[in-house]
Amino acid sequence: MKWMHWFAVVMGGLLAAPVLASPVCATDDLNQRVCLESPARRIAALSPGATELAWAAGAGGQVVAVVAFSDYPPAARNVTSVGSHTRMDMERLLVLQPDLVIGWVTGNPTEQLATLREVGIPVFSIEPRSFEAVSQTIERLAVLAGTETEGVAEAERFRQGIAELRETYRNAAPVSVFYQVWDEPLMTVNGEHLIGEMVELCGGENVFSNLERLVPRISAEAVVAADPEAILAGGMGEENRHWLTRWRKFPSLTAVARNNLFFIPPSLVQRPTPRMLEGTRLFCEKLELARSRRSGEVRL
Amino acid sequence: MIRPLALPLATLVFASVCATVVSIGVGSVSMTPQEVMAVFLGQGGALQETLVLELRLPRTLSAFATGGLLAVAGALMQVLLRNPLADPYVLGLSGGAAVGALLAMLAGLGGAVISGSAFAGAMLATFLVFGLAHGTGSWTPSRLLLTGVVVAAGWGAVITLMLAISPARELPGMLYWLMGDVSYARTPWPGVGLLLVVCFLVIPLGRSLNVLARGPLQAAALGISVRPLEWMIYILASLLTATAVTMAGSIGFVGLVVPHMLRLILGNDQRLILPACALAGGTLLVLADTLARVVIAPEQLPVGVITALLGVPTFLYLLYRSR
Repeated sequence: MKWMHWFAVVMGGLLAAPVLASPVCATDDLNQRVCLESPARRIAALSPGATELAWAAGAGGQVVAVVAFSDYPPAARNVTSVGSHTRMDMERLLVLQPDLVIGWVTGNPTEQLATLREVGIPVFSIEPRSFEAVSQTIERLAVLAGTETEGVAEAERFRQGIAELRETYRNAAPVSVFYQVWDEPLMTVNGEHLIGEMVELCGGENVFSNLERLVPRISAEAVVAADPEAILAGGMGEENRHWLTRWRKFPSLTAVARNNLFFIPPSLVQRPTPRMLEGTRLFCEKLELARSRRSGEVRL
Repeated sequence: MIRPLALPLATLVFASVCATVVSIGVGSVSMTPQEVMAVFLGQGGALQETLVLELRLPRTLSAFATGGLLAVAGALMQVLLRNPLADPYVLGLSGGAAVGALLAMLAGLGGAVISGSAFAGAMLATFLVFGLAHGTGSWTPSRLLLTGVVVAAGWGAVITLMLAISPARELPGMLYWLMGDVSYARTPWPGVGLLLVVCFLVIPLGRSLNVLARGPLQAAALGISVRPLEWMIYILASLLTATAVTMAGSIGFVGLVVPHMLRLILGNDQRLILPACALAGGTLLVLADTLARVVIAPEQLPVGVITALLGVPTFLYLLYRSR
């Protein structure tokens, strides 16, 4: 009977080997090819956005380390924090023995990411800058985590949702929009920013889309001069709407006269994650509301 | 002659060894002394080995070298300018280094290029001040100081301008650099090497420095060629500061306060003060960095906050007592 035992072991090994040892590869946003001998089991996500994307890719259960402000999905709050994304506690990170680190190209210090690579931990650096990049990031993370079924489905849901919104508002009448990222100093986004893309998708025209910098600092006068039809603002925290009240000092502004001052929860639009679908939908609804308030005016 | 120098130095050597041991033994991951010892004997676990040899040891050495270099540079500047408020950055060296580093970041270059560019910027700042302070008239320390302070203000304006116009994605990297932090040091060895070299170099210089500290006329009367000596101090201090800034950005306070503290305790003998500065500056920064990484772990504090919080009360106490 002994041979049967050996037979089982050998056959089992033959069957299991391709599954266990198959390497997975993906190219990150620094154009580095990251290969793992087997899908990652212990993932460290070094930005709140990376945490959300890992969950979206279906790899939430494999996340063993996050950074401060990783508040979504709620389960992420229970994962060990390794400090802020600008200054990680490297010891606490290493002791969790991650087999994949999801870095943030412009948010994490390059020196700390370099140290991680030096001690042999693969670093996959991300920085999604478009709707399509969000989907692709989810797909690539799913490959590395071995959760392709869930990841591809989620990426496709997001892609479809965005495509539907794009189709709905393709021929919508243009609305000139000012999006306020920050209050003091007053900041907005240009056309290349993801939020700029969001404005255009909903049939909006970002009054500052042609500015050079991604997140330009502007004066209140420039906003008054541009006279947008709608003003949309985030704010600190999810319920803080006082950023919009400053514009009421200018009753001659079209946006103020028609009461087109809209609050958008910043977490839905400012993190490049699938939640942007909800944010974009909200964005489009607000612009649609602005269009409906044009009644009484003769439009050419 | 040997004995009064030996005791304080031995004490400081002991203190720096203690600080180094504490810094290597303590971290946000707790390890027993046995585990740490095992790593040094080559019998530690893989994880412990990484923690001690890849994280704690290089960081501790970097902190020691940076602190030591800054304190020695500060002491030299104070002798050179005969001004108690002088510190390694007073002549605009950190500004030049920052502009160099920021330019490299703007150009999208990374890693070692940023360090090299920072060093080049610091040396450019040094020679700019050197050339301008020479001028056409006579040279005095106050002229050097004024030139340096104005050039420093110029660098400050350039830095602010660069921060204001640079693309948002480069900003975080730039701000980290300007804040200064030992955790971003790449390799401790250039700093450690230079610190050792300097300690041996300043021993023969000590006597001349002692005389110079009493004033240039007296020094000249005692047969010291003042001008070459002053320029040598200037170049040496600049080289030390440039190396420190290149390693860890601009960390304040150490270079200003450590030399003063030591003078209050040990008296103003440069033969003693300079090596003592190397040891005490290194010790202070190692201790400060250890606190910075464990006080509110996993959050990490910038080390400059801790050096100031430790140094200010100590310094004020010494100053108060010295009346």
